[in-house]
Amino acid sequence: MAAKTPEQITDDLLRPLSGISGRYGLGAALLAGVTVAACCAFFYQVYAGLGVSGLRWPVFWGFYITNFVFWIGLSHAGTLISAILRLANARWRRPVTRCAEVITVFALSIGATFPIIHLGRPWLAFWLFPYPSERGIWPNIRSPLLWDFFAINTYLISSVTFLLLPIIPDMALVRDRTTGLKQKIYGLLALGWTGTPKQWHRLETAMHIMAIAVIPVAVSVHSIVSWDFAMAPVPMWHSTIFAPYFVAGAIFSGIAALILAMALLRKFLHLEEYLLPIHFENLGKLLLMMSLLWFYFVFSERLTTWYGNEAGEMPVFWATQHGSYAPLFWAMVFCNFLIPVPILAVKKLRTITGTAVASFTVVVGMWLERFLIIVPSLSHKYLTYSWGTYRPTWVEITITAGTFCGMALLYMIFSKVVPIISIWELKAGQHHARHGARIVQPAEPKEVEAD
Amino acid sequence: MTHRWGMVIDLDRCTGCEACVVACHAENNIATVGEQEASRSRAKHWIRVERYYEGEFPDVKVKFQPVLCQQCDAAPCEPVCPTFASYHTAEGLNGQIYNRCIGTRYCANACPYNVRFFNFYNPAWDKPLDLQLNPDVSVRSVGVMEKCTFCVQRIKAAEIQAAAEKRPVKDGEIQPACVESCPTSAMVFGDLNDPESEASRLANSRRSTKLLAELGTRPKVTYLQRGSWHGGENS
Amino acid sequence: MPVPPAIYGLFADPESAERGMNALNRAGISPKRIVVMSAEPFDEYSFSQMDQATPMPWIAAIGGAVGGILGFLLARLTQEAYPFPLITGGMPLLAAWPTGIVTYELTMLGAVVTTIIALLLSTQLPNWKPKLYDPEVSNGKILIGVLEPSDSMRAELENRLRGAGAVKVKVMGVRP
Repeated sequence: MAAKTPEQITDDLLRPLSGISGRYGLGAALLAGVTVAACCAFFYQVYAGLGVSGLRWPVFWGFYITNFVFWIGLSHAGTLISAILRLANARWRRPVTRCAEVITVFALSIGATFPIIHLGRPWLAFWLFPYPSERGIWPNIRSPLLWDFFAINTYLISSVTFLLLPIIPDMALVRDRTTGLKQKIYGLLALGWTGTPKQWHRLETAMHIMAIAVIPVAVSVHSIVSWDFAMAPVPMWHSTIFAPYFVAGAIFSGIAALILAMALLRKFLHLEEYLLPIHFENLGKLLLMMSLLWFYFVFSERLTTWYGNEAGEMPVFWATQHGSYAPLFWAMVFCNFLIPVPILAVKKLRTITGTAVASFTVVVGMWLERFLIIVPSLSHKYLTYSWGTYRPTWVEITITAGTFCGMALLYMIFSKVVPIISIWELKAGQHHARHGARIVQPAEPKEVEAD
Repeated sequence: MTHRWGMVIDLDRCTGCEACVVACHAENNIATVGEQEASRSRAKHWIRVERYYEGEFPDVKVKFQPVLCQQCDAAPCEPVCPTFASYHTAEGLNGQIYNRCIGTRYCANACPYNVRFFNFYNPAWDKPLDLQLNPDVSVRSVGVMEKCTFCVQRIKAAEIQAAAEKRPVKDGEIQPACVESCPTSAMVFGDLNDPESEASRLANSRRSTKLLAELGTRPKVTYLQRGSWHGGENS
Repeated sequence: MPVPPAIYGLFADPESAERGMNALNRAGISPKRIVVMSAEPFDEYSFSQMDQATPMPWIAAIGGAVGGILGFLLARLTQEAYPFPLITGGMPLLAAWPTGIVTYELTMLGAVVTTIIALLLSTQLPNWKPKLYDPEVSNGKILIGVLEPSDSMRAELENRLRGAGAVKVKVMGVRP
């Protein structure tokens, strides 16, 4: 980018925080409307019973668990991009890290509501928490849902911290630029940060530790989510490939969501000089790699299933290849592989628009993938008499739409309250680039002082 | 010695009359869900008679197989329940504690026999049918899983009676509703720990098979049939 | 506690800030009374070299170990807490694999939470009390200054800071 002074950078990146446009207000109102509708649908479901959903015997998990796995998967954006790029010291990461970390926190929060939404008695969800209850009973550690509980909470705490730590200096920046009530609020959020070397060292050390810690947590979270399925003797669920398959799929959908978010931010917040084509190029290459990896996993799993020809698994296999789920299956292959790979592989097409289009199809395709993992297997279990179907009702569709709109709304609100690009990190990166690696000078007099 | 309850169902005697299904509904306070809900596969038949047709008309053969909770010794539905609502009792039954159930429905997904059912709505009985409810069996509310319990209320009643009379439970004294109602005596219930019980003897017969045994669930319901079918799934 | 008296210079770039730092060192000011503030971490410059050693990684490791032990105990003791063993699926009551998973998760949680606490304690944040600070710092200036300067040194310090290239030199709360 053309060398901008630190003041220019600060001005540009703080500009979104001042005021909202009519277009923003309208967009936020629409998104909020759908989100509220989704909340109403949920309360209706609690009131009337899960019968208002499309769930039935034998397909007891449908849209809600699809959304659960999808949103938890999407939340792998922040971790991998932010943590891995920080550890690898990739210079192009700096404008991207906060966008990614925000996606993680919000997607994870949304995903974490689904274990409650899908419960038959959601008001008792707190029984998953290990506490000494008056009934004398604790939760069942053998259950993968309990592992989910610990993993998701650990990941949530880790990723919220990972987001909030680098925000502190930027909160101090905004505090110094505002007055009145705004200054008080940002002053509170800045925790009294002054920027002494001790504070910087501690902050950077903490961020380094967090970056190292959050990667294994992220890997474990989606492995554990996958084991919700793999631990049950259901045809095409009980497979060892699930944990790596899900983690790869999560990273895949996460990178796609990040590219989409960045493309939208760039357009609506006029960040053309900060979110550069090179960022989309690099993320696009990562997305291409993940698409190929996704294809490799799907191919391995399908080949093994087909070759094994097991009586229990083949009906599920054929249902997705030729049968009632075939349209969705092939749409998924299209969205996850056949469309993104050409776009991302050809340099001319790997533009901002190109990667954004590819990312959109990947997000759709990955949602379909979660659905196709869950429902065809449950529809075709071992006893053919008990095969069934699944159709979502308006309740499930509304809640699903509500999550997408809620995510967008949360992101919009966040970008108005906190600078979406980490200002101090960007400036630090600039001066590293300008001055190169500097040999540490001891604190000794090295010039003759003109007294 | 503790009991280990098991059941033997003779498929060569089963006529598919479904008296067992009706008796189970009556005994265990299972509500009928209504025509619309039944068409949406929400009916809760703790025991169901699966029907398989072989051949073309007019040489059609129909096979009937009553499928109920197999009370597996290595039940896949038990470890997955986060609240211990599904657990293994000391007498080998798969217990379902309605009060602990928060309705994650993981157990239903894990069960390869699909014998677990969910209360999608609060069950209701039009008056005066509510007067026929069995007082020994709790009525499950919305959001709770339920399944065949081997009529644990009858088992407990017989054990309490026997303890009061200071004698062991006699073989054949406990008859779950389905066993009691079967007109061809195709179903036998008994203590598998007692080698003299009819259930134990029949379970050792040459015709005995277990449903989906290859999955390693170790079910305690034994099916007697000459020759296997189901495409070799339960041979 | 009111803001302590201080003299400081605002420097526009790290090189001049370093000259300012050297000037203060040569004047014999003890490092404990020198304050530095910046809007970015200038890790390679000498004025950022103080307070670098921290046992935080070790603290995080210890926190992780504690978390792991707590996780292990949680997984084991709670399963035995019920009056009779709740056997599920033919699995042992104290199952190794799930215990391992819960132990692992709580290890990571322990490391993360301990890191946060260590950060807050060692930086003494949050600290909303009034303290020495200049909003120019967030405009990119680097603040190098001396706390509680003695009256005799005041003029000399101002000269040194200006000589090193301070864009502005300010005197706070010092008795006239």
